Amino acid sequence: MEFSFTPEQLMFKEQLIRFAKKEIVPRVSEHDLQSKFDFDSFRKLGEFGVLGLHFPEELGGSGADVVTTVLAGEALGEAGVDGGLSLAYGAHTFLCADTILCHGSEEQKKRYIPKLASGEWIGCMGLTEPGAGSDVASLSTRAKKAGNTYILNGSKMFITNGSIADVAVIYAKTDKGQKHAGISAFIVEKGTPGFSAGRDLIKMGVRTSHTSELVFEDCEIPAKNLIGQEGAGFLMAMQTVEWDRSALLAPFIGGMTYVLQKCARYAKERHQFGRPIAYFQATKHKLADIKIFIEAARSLCYRIAWCKDQGRPLNHLEAAVAKLFVGDWSLKPANDAMLLHGGYGYCHEYEVERYFRDSRLAPIGGGTSDIQKKIISKLM
Amino acid sequence: MNFDFDEKELDLATRLKKAIDQDAEKRVKSLRTGDPLECLNLFMDYLGRLADIGYLGLGVKDGNHSSALVAAQEALATLSPSLFLAVESSTRLFGRLVALYGTSHQKEEILPLLEQGRYVGCVALTESGMSVENQPFETTASSSGKDFTVTGTKDHVINGPMADRIAVITQADEKLLIALVRIESPGVIVGERYAFIGYEGTPVAPVQLDRVTVSAKEVMGPFDPPDILGNLRRWEDQVLTSASLGLMNRSFQTALDHARMHRSGGKPVIAYQEVAFKLAEMLTLRQTAQLLAYRAAWMDESGDRERDILVNCAKTFCAESAEQVASQALQVLGANGLPKGNPAEESYGSAKYLQVAGTSSEISRIKIGDRILERA
Repeated sequence: MEFSFTPEQLMFKEQLIRFAKKEIVPRVSEHDLQSKFDFDSFRKLGEFGVLGLHFPEELGGSGADVVTTVLAGEALGEAGVDGGLSLAYGAHTFLCADTILCHGSEEQKKRYIPKLASGEWIGCMGLTEPGAGSDVASLSTRAKKAGNTYILNGSKMFITNGSIADVAVIYAKTDKGQKHAGISAFIVEKGTPGFSAGRDLIKMGVRTSHTSELVFEDCEIPAKNLIGQEGAGFLMAMQTVEWDRSALLAPFIGGMTYVLQKCARYAKERHQFGRPIAYFQATKHKLADIKIFIEAARSLCYRIAWCKDQGRPLNHLEAAVAKLFVGDWSLKPANDAMLLHGGYGYCHEYEVERYFRDSRLAPIGGGTSDIQKKIISKLM
Repeated sequence: MNFDFDEKELDLATRLKKAIDQDAEKRVKSLRTGDPLECLNLFMDYLGRLADIGYLGLGVKDGNHSSALVAAQEALATLSPSLFLAVESSTRLFGRLVALYGTSHQKEEILPLLEQGRYVGCVALTESGMSVENQPFETTASSSGKDFTVTGTKDHVINGPMADRIAVITQADEKLLIALVRIESPGVIVGERYAFIGYEGTPVAPVQLDRVTVSAKEVMGPFDPPDILGNLRRWEDQVLTSASLGLMNRSFQTALDHARMHRSGGKPVIAYQEVAFKLAEMLTLRQTAQLLAYRAAWMDESGDRERDILVNCAKTFCAESAEQVASQALQVLGANGLPKGNPAEESYGSAKYLQVAGTSSEISRIKIGDRILERA
């Protein structure tokens, strides 16, 4: 076994941290307070090459491998970028654009990927429905073929970037009689008649990402907007799982590193009983627990990325293990970070409050911890 | 980056599984209260087998940990936790001390025998008053020209009852000396073997040294305490990390087998989420611990500056996870897990030892915290 990053990967990470600290982080707090998406930061991520990092160069990407792409997510977190912007980036790049890149026609790739890579367009993915979460087979959004078009009816729920997206990858049933095999994926552009976004949901954390309902009422789209073949949608959705459980987890881990640095500095500055609280064993124990979590979680995350780079088939077990660990085991260190800050930790100014809220999504988004346990117990 | 085991890592672990029988733990445990000579003979038999496959020399001469070594250690710690602890104390602790700090004469005399499995060593470090690491040792070595006189009492000496040679850590003013005491030397009194809640097959005993004369050529040092104790603790922690993986493998597999075989309400109990989800949590902890242990070993091998903090993180996480996995395993086993002698019950008791031995979880967290604060 060998766990090193290449010098180029490490250099890229350092550059991205520097860039994010200068260009993005100063505005994070303001946007979080206002629950506002930061369009400028998003486009800057595009300019820096983050949004299309693993896309081919001819389509506006940088051709990076998956490990480097995961490293980028960790770097954003480590720089202090909030969970909301990281989530918006994840939904845009991995759930929307990557599906088009991997399964779309040449025409679809040429039309969408360069604009998604640059950040000119924002993407989203619609799978979850009000009545269908992890039980994907039960989704009820329908796509009915009508000549050279498909007509979509139904609604999607908890869609990251839903209200701001220019392009959406939407999963719908083309064959009601089938379960997973009846699901197909489509590209729906903003402004298509019958396609609308509901109000943005008010969330506990990741507030700079917009999450909304999507509604399809006799929404007519060209048949050429079908991605791949009819009935192949479920497998496409499953392939995003590896991204969900590596690149999308990485900002949580990077964020924990950021929080650890904050905690250590605070512990040295904050005096109680005539000495810095860093002196007390209980403080050191909290710092240690955060560090142990970070180091334990990192390897899990990079294992999935590395497997994906090797072209290995879907590694659901490893992905679920990583998701479960980061989701459930991050709760205590995130809580410890807030406790270490005492009353200040409960206030917005000290950032650990935001991280605490943002990190609550880890055991929920992309499949709850119970779903991960279900997957693991089925595969072991 | 490569998350696969390479050929070398797989090969040694495979050979080890062939060399050591599945009943090894049962056999070494059964001799706990029996004839000490019979016990020694059994250990020597296993040492011989491990020597034949090249296990005993790994990472001894260079003092380096490696993922190949962890792979082999994990295999042995899974087959027999008690045998593992005894073997590692002799090779990776005692052997490394001699290899890195010994004179050429000491190395020539001891290392080939250790590597051939014909010699048992042990390290006598712990003392009853040793509550914190920086406290001076009470065991002393005073010079009288060509000899040293060693006096003191050491607790919890692994292999104490069957060792040929004891590396006794002694205080000599501000420095440390290591006396390579022969077990047959007058004044060496090995106490009664401890009866622990775990690692029942590992011979552990107190050793009293009553004015033991040791020739100057059998003494190593003087050393600065932080240097040698730091290395010794790190090696110990690495051994205990691998030991944790072994315990997790044993208790997880026992629980999984039971959950598949045991039926309740007309179906195997694994069909119930309460059981299946526990197993999922156990597997998650086990896989996470494995990766962390292997990464910490790789960092040691590659000389990474983060090595020490990673070793502490891995030891703490793995040792505590071993207890959690064993505890969950016992819950899955229900009443079947309560009688003494099943791997989950054994692992539950042994896991506590792992959190206390070496750098305890508490001290480990202090060290990790200190390192983080230094950089902040």
